[in-house]
Amino acid sequence: MKNSRVLIGILGLDQHEVGAVAVARMLRDAGMEVVYTGRFNLPAMIVQTALQEDVDVIGLSVHSWEHIYYLPELLALLEKRQAAIPLIVGGSIITKADEAGLKKMGIAAVFGPSATRQGIIDSVTALSGEYRGLWKKHG
Amino acid sequence: MTEKQTQAQIPLKQFYNPEDIISLDYETQLNSPGRYPFARGRQADLYGASGWIQRELSGEGDPVRSNEQIRYLISKGQMGIDVIGDSPSMAMLDPDHSLAANAVGTQGVSLCCLDDYRELYKGIPLDSISVSSSLPPIFALAGLYLAAKEEGVSPLKLRGSVLQTPFYAEDCGYAMQMPFNLRLRLALDSMEFCAREMPKFHSFVEDTYFFSEAGLNVVEEMALGFVEIRHLVREMIKRGVDIDSFAPRIAILVNCGMDFFEEIAKIRAARRLFARMMKEEFGAKDPRSLAVVITCHTSGLSLTAQQPFNNIVRGAVQTLGLVLAGVQAIEVSAFDEAYRTPSKESHLVGLRTQQVIHLETGVAKVTDPLGGSYFIETLTNEIESRIWGMVHDIEAKGDPAELSYEGWFRRFFQDAMERYGKQINEGRLLKVGANIHQIPDEEDTMLKEFTEKKFEPCWDRIEKIRLYKKGRNQKKNKEVLQKIHQAAKQPKASLIEPVLAAFADGATMGEIAGVMRLAYDYPYDPHGVLEPPI
Repeated sequence: MKNSRVLIGILGLDQHEVGAVAVARMLRDAGMEVVYTGRFNLPAMIVQTALQEDVDVIGLSVHSWEHIYYLPELLALLEKRQAAIPLIVGGSIITKADEAGLKKMGIAAVFGPSATRQGIIDSVTALSGEYRGLWKKHG
Repeated sequence: MTEKQTQAQIPLKQFYNPEDIISLDYETQLNSPGRYPFARGRQADLYGASGWIQRELSGEGDPVRSNEQIRYLISKGQMGIDVIGDSPSMAMLDPDHSLAANAVGTQGVSLCCLDDYRELYKGIPLDSISVSSSLPPIFALAGLYLAAKEEGVSPLKLRGSVLQTPFYAEDCGYAMQMPFNLRLRLALDSMEFCAREMPKFHSFVEDTYFFSEAGLNVVEEMALGFVEIRHLVREMIKRGVDIDSFAPRIAILVNCGMDFFEEIAKIRAARRLFARMMKEEFGAKDPRSLAVVITCHTSGLSLTAQQPFNNIVRGAVQTLGLVLAGVQAIEVSAFDEAYRTPSKESHLVGLRTQQVIHLETGVAKVTDPLGGSYFIETLTNEIESRIWGMVHDIEAKGDPAELSYEGWFRRFFQDAMERYGKQINEGRLLKVGANIHQIPDEEDTMLKEFTEKKFEPCWDRIEKIRLYKKGRNQKKNKEVLQKIHQAAKQPKASLIEPVLAAFADGATMGEIAGVMRLAYDYPYDPHGVLEPPI
């Protein structure tokens, strides 16, 4: 079985990187391939890299409120490119109300402050499996 | 049973005895507070009648909103100001940059030109209150200097500080995409300028706070801090500046986590190390050059998103430790910091925490109340020797500019981030409410109402700055920017005077930073959107 390929990045000018680095390394240690795009990404850059790198899941670390405005744009871009890559958003700033809103928007999985290591790994594994299945069906 | 140890993995005994400090020489290692080597405090009567500078880190929205915030805090007893910029300001981007669109004024105040500083400080008594900032130092300095002069306040009277972060900013939270040598030069030029023009102002605050929030332990925090201090001091000496003209205006802004005694010992050790280094290694003679000012922002990383009320307890414990250690100014991290830019309510809690400890507990009445404790002195010695060992290990690796370019510091921070994440995940670092004594989300409601309150970016400010830029004399603006570019091309020229002139003439931070980058063969706009104006 092919290992999951995951993009991990941060949007806009948010410079809080502790979570992104910790999660990227955690997923790598769990045997996944991680494409780390770091800080200063706009939605178009994330989508471009995700397609070029052929990732199964996009994981965004959010520690500012910029994601509120960038995520709808990112989802629209994915749709435009006809790429149904699942989007995972994580960050300690995410409240219960945020989580509900993000899921409604179309974010596949949301991890707030109480996320566990295993929970994140399981979610990435499941979503990338689903995505690859989808890919095969269409391709 | 596992051996007991501190957070920095220093082994601990069950208790400590006179034998543990039998080799401690009182006169040379401790001495009275206010006497060399200042381990026990930089002054004998440390807290006098008014205590330490009690303040909260503030800043949100546009400068007018932040001015109101400052006035509110002063009306509640705040004794100094510390303003943080929003993420575009911290990255030296103007609000009209496309990457800034969704971040203007949300994580701090948006400041990009002299008009902004005029509004920020309007009606604030700049001659009597200390004005600190967590902003790109060159612009904070220019804004304060020029705004004060216009208000008729002599720069000679200005007190306060700017953070100098040339070593680690790019790697850890405050990237402004400038080369190491330019960052260093700006810091040195500022220090030289202030030694002359703003002698009461702390032009070099070594900020160990922001990078230690990557999850560093106290030894790593202070070792990296000292590596940077030592490099800047050596460079100033190389420039021929008298050490006693700038050393009294070096301060350290430290972090404060939850390992109570370790944090206290760290601060005592740092004072002693600084004094010895300045006297023995750098030949400083003025006692003020030896007794370093230490201020603190309590750790945001130590706070939890779960059960935010626990954060109020954490802030109180950290503040108590800091007062026992004898720091000169404190900011308590907001209890809602895990979720948002601090609310008005959490600012007030931070201020009241300090006031209760100051005015009700009596802990500030005697200087260094823990001095002589078998345990505290042992821990102070141990931490001091570990910090010093690490400083020399890092210095032995070679030129810090090279280390920075080849990514050594960045890897160090990333390893620390990973280590910290693992410590929490594996329960080796306990956080009540997060990885022990959790409660179901539906029960975790106390104080959560503040976490759900968000505010929008200042969209209107983007347009305002666009119009401001259009309304200037374009030819003149180009000229002042060209002057900065020329000065930046000459390694011996000071950048402060041309930056002051350009700022006074209406140039913006983004433009000034951009032309300085250009002079160092970096792109004007690190994000590749804007065309250079010169």
